[in-house]
Amino acid sequence: MILRAAGLRKFYGEFCALDGVSLAVDAGEFVSIIGPNGAGKSTLINVLTGVLRPSAGSVHLNGREVTGIGPVRLARLGMARSFQLVQIFPDLTVLQTLQAAVVSRLGRGTRLFASLARDREVEAGALEVAGLFGLDDKRHTPSRQLPQGDKKLLDVASAFALRPEIILLDEPTSGVSTADKTAIMEILVSAGRRIGLKAIIQVEHDMDIVFGYSHRIIALHQGRVLADATPAAIQADAHVVDTVIGRKTVLPPGPR
Amino acid sequence: MTGRVVLALAGAGVLVVPCVAPTYHVLLMLPFMAYGVALLGLNLLFGYTGLVSFGHALFIGIGAYTGAFLTSKFGVRSLEAILVASAVLGALVAAPVAALCVRYVKIYFGMLTLAFGMVFYTFVLKFYRVTGGDEGTPYLRPSLLGFGLEEIPKTDYLIGPYYYYSLVVLALAAAVMWRVVHSPFGLCLKTIRDNPAKAETLGISVRRYRWYAFMISAVYASAGGALLGAPIGNVDPTLAYWTHSGNLVFMTLLGGFASFFGPLVGAFAFIYLEDALKSLAPSFWRLIFGAILAAIVIFAPGGLLGLVRRARPLGVSRA
Amino acid sequence: MSGIFHASILFLVSAGLQVVFGVQKIFNLACGSFYALGAYVGVSAVQAYAAAGGPAGFFIVPLALAGLAAGLVGVVVERGLLRFVYERDETFQLLLTFALVLMLEDTIRLTWGTSPLSTGGMYLVYGQVRLLGAAVPVYNLIVIAASLVIAVGIGALLTRTAFGRIIRAAADNREMAEALGVDMRWLYARVFTLGTALGTLGGALVIPATAAMSEMGIELIVEAFAVVVIGGLGSMRGAFVGALIVGVLRSVAISTYPELEMLLIYLIVIAVLVLRPRGLFGTAATAT
Repeated sequence: MILRAAGLRKFYGEFCALDGVSLAVDAGEFVSIIGPNGAGKSTLINVLTGVLRPSAGSVHLNGREVTGIGPVRLARLGMARSFQLVQIFPDLTVLQTLQAAVVSRLGRGTRLFASLARDREVEAGALEVAGLFGLDDKRHTPSRQLPQGDKKLLDVASAFALRPEIILLDEPTSGVSTADKTAIMEILVSAGRRIGLKAIIQVEHDMDIVFGYSHRIIALHQGRVLADATPAAIQADAHVVDTVIGRKTVLPPGPR
Repeated sequence: MTGRVVLALAGAGVLVVPCVAPTYHVLLMLPFMAYGVALLGLNLLFGYTGLVSFGHALFIGIGAYTGAFLTSKFGVRSLEAILVASAVLGALVAAPVAALCVRYVKIYFGMLTLAFGMVFYTFVLKFYRVTGGDEGTPYLRPSLLGFGLEEIPKTDYLIGPYYYYSLVVLALAAAVMWRVVHSPFGLCLKTIRDNPAKAETLGISVRRYRWYAFMISAVYASAGGALLGAPIGNVDPTLAYWTHSGNLVFMTLLGGFASFFGPLVGAFAFIYLEDALKSLAPSFWRLIFGAILAAIVIFAPGGLLGLVRRARPLGVSRA
Repeated sequence: MSGIFHASILFLVSAGLQVVFGVQKIFNLACGSFYALGAYVGVSAVQAYAAAGGPAGFFIVPLALAGLAAGLVGVVVERGLLRFVYERDETFQLLLTFALVLMLEDTIRLTWGTSPLSTGGMYLVYGQVRLLGAAVPVYNLIVIAASLVIAVGIGALLTRTAFGRIIRAAADNREMAEALGVDMRWLYARVFTLGTALGTLGGALVIPATAAMSEMGIELIVEAFAVVVIGGLGSMRGAFVGALIVGVLRSVAISTYPELEMLLIYLIVIAVLVLRPRGLFGTAATAT
């Protein structure tokens, strides 16, 4: 079991954002977290990725307690994430962004007097990820000048460049046109296979994507887990369909 | 390519100044070089890590007072020893100060650094029995590489051996800083400047790297202070006053904080502008200076080098 | 007692700083310079008044009026300079106020020269009283009383008037206030002028007790800075309590350990910034 969360609670003053959420993700799984706005999805991601400390409950990564240790240490332990609102380094190029991730992965951040440009290993690592995400011809473009879709890809690509064991994606296809969504998902999945990614957790609203790729779906509602099951089981659960998905949505068949 | 040509020309120019320029102007180059060293450090913090310190004059003060104390109270005249001692003392003071300050950002960081700068100023001012108070402490002529050069009159010493010594120190400082800025470490600093939250998720500890950057900038500023004090011959508390820290930021902004050489351009422009204005408009040079700073902030926040860059095509990352 | 007098003046200047920071989120380094401006304008006004033969007993009137009038400079500064940087990073805003410090320093020097100016013993026209074994000029007590009145007045302004409510709303949430129809340009101009006027008034009122000197501006800003840090950025109550603490501590230090004077205050500033960054009454800090 790679990631396990038990009894997570998060209070903002009186407001309860998470009310006893537990989940477990194994190697080889692609898990989607769905739920209406305000269900607590982003809070959950932030707690799992160490950005927020839960009011109660614990998170374990590969058996090791990591509750609230912060994103820096989590990144070193093999967890990476991407953001719902695209996060990039505006004044760094695509290549530099990826190099930063590789530098961090290789632990070379304290090399003050080494030349970054001449570090073949870092460059190779960065170019490899750039290639996987189709960004290598834009590698010298400053991030702020990239089109929105590429910024999104870069955000995810830099997380992948850490070669994490598990990655949490917060709405990886939001703001992307429907035509491109599948393309992005295919890139994600194949890149994940190439770098040895063991599990993916995503928060996603697009049900086609959710049902097309997930092994398991966790439905959140008002801070609680409403259902945690395979796509087929979720589809059959009328309560979940009503509350979270909406009856008008035509649900596609299971994962590829 | 033009960049390298300009750099080469500038380098050549600086080398021959003592031979061709009048003494007065050569002497002006000395504070330029000292501030150059200090600002290279300050900009590591400002332009490359995104932290604006309003208290860096603290370290200039530490460097200058180290030189003063070593020469006049402990009889140590070696400029090498002074530079090393300044760097070490600067680092010793910076370690706890930085540890405290890097926990905060933006205005709180600025305020904390300003407070520390003023603590040093007040300390040096009030404990006048030790430091000479507002009269200061003499900074006697240091020996260069073991040579006392006492036989040479002070001015010839300054425009000759001391000038080239400072130039070598500046060149070395710049070379080292260039390496640092273009190293994996430098890249991490830039990520922190651009997006600290994302940098953390990439495993880069924002606080720790800011601390490193602060330490390095403090060492540079202290060395700059040591170089600054010698030609003046006397070191007083105003070196650590908050307006002096403000001027350091002004100089960096003037030249352009977004590039490596910006601070050097800024130091040069500031020193010469200040000198020219003081003689042309002795009663309102500060007014003009303030107006220039205001104009830069409003119209040209990228500084002089930023203006140059605007004249060139875009598409070049500033990292 | 002189500590409380100093605290009253400090409160006025800090209040100006707070109201500007609270609404515009700009730390005005030039507030000390406005204080100096008020002082010099005050001296000139009183000297002109005395030359015109006005009765000595009422000199405080032209003094206070001059102090307030000098505050109008705030309009010029805000409209002519500050408004260009509202959308910029706070570093640039801070640097612009630093540019103001430089410009005001020379403007004052050009207009009034470099030697200290004072109104001499004029303030003694109100006599002195014996309080706690020391001779306290009645003038000082008048100023302390005036500051208290102004403090109460500001409180009333903020809580009971429409303008005050707009100020508090904008300080709390600028976008919201704008969405509700508040014209920020109008508000900013008024708030900045109010802040400036408080500073110039403080400078004018201090004049009879001390002299107008060229360094007074850049020296006062560091004290005002200590006041708003201790009291909490943006808080009026903070300005009041902070000014009291700084003013009294300083006079205590001066009479016991003169070396410690400002050093103690800066150490307290650092302690506050570390232990409780928002100060006594401020809102949550924007730390990392």
